[in-house]
Amino acid sequence: MTTAEQESADVRTPTAGATAAEDDTWWTHLGEDGPEGGLALTRLHELLVRASRHQVWRLRGLLPGADADQIDDLAQQAADDALMSVLRKLPTFEGRSRFTTWAYKFAVLQAGVTVRSQAWRDREVPLPDSVALPDAGPSPAQMSEATQLARAVRDAIATELTPHQRRVVLALVVEGVPIDVLADRLGSSRNALYKALHDARQRLRQALVVNGYLDESPSRSTS
Amino acid sequence: MNANIPELTHRAVDDLLIDTEPYLSCDDCFERIDRYVEQLLADPAHDDPEMAAHLAGCGVCADEAQAMQELLRQDA
Repeated sequence: MTTAEQESADVRTPTAGATAAEDDTWWTHLGEDGPEGGLALTRLHELLVRASRHQVWRLRGLLPGADADQIDDLAQQAADDALMSVLRKLPTFEGRSRFTTWAYKFAVLQAGVTVRSQAWRDREVPLPDSVALPDAGPSPAQMSEATQLARAVRDAIATELTPHQRRVVLALVVEGVPIDVLADRLGSSRNALYKALHDARQRLRQALVVNGYLDESPSRSTS
Repeated sequence: MNANIPELTHRAVDDLLIDTEPYLSCDDCFERIDRYVEQLLADPAHDDPEMAAHLAGCGVCADEAQAMQELLRQDA
């Protein structure tokens, strides 16, 4: 078991109520004033801490200088924020998944946002508007194929994308800036930046189809 | 070469050419991700083209889906 799994397992057992197998409806008491409402709130917080801690530990490589206490503090902070989100969104839960799975996503989202924000807190976000070609491949054949494709992509980036699409694409894909970090720095949203990236990919693909570098149909998806 | 101009790596080329159709927004991905990971764990062959395309093209959402699958496996 990895450290992250051990940390996660350590808080898996609910202490404020029955196990999920014994009681799948504990969450229906959320928002009640009585003891059952209090127990449900405690139990929800416990599962959010567990999910948040799991995600923060998964991403701990982004925080090379952080010790275990600092990482756990981030997990607690993310869980607290996720708790507010879950309670706010509770009326929208439609039961299409288990409640615990539904709640996990808020903690996982918030934990990721918290870690990436911390990791980029003191870093400048690069916003290049052009890109250089890569080094040649190890063999003549690879050099020819890979370099020609890269050259075609570079040219399409320069000619087919809007300045905004170009900036977003290069920051996200080439510089590796996380989408939520970039959204925060640009005063934008994850949704808006992903749409710009999606549209840019379609333009690039279309340009490469026209130039004979790509087939019309299937995806080249590699990640 | 200008040191401020980043290099277009082969990995970045592949990433830029991912086909992310049919389009799905990050918000819609978030709406569906809980049910999607449950379905995927119940049936690894589960097919949701919109979710699959989005997760192929959005690293942060894909990472969240991975984390959720790990949590659900621990719960099983």
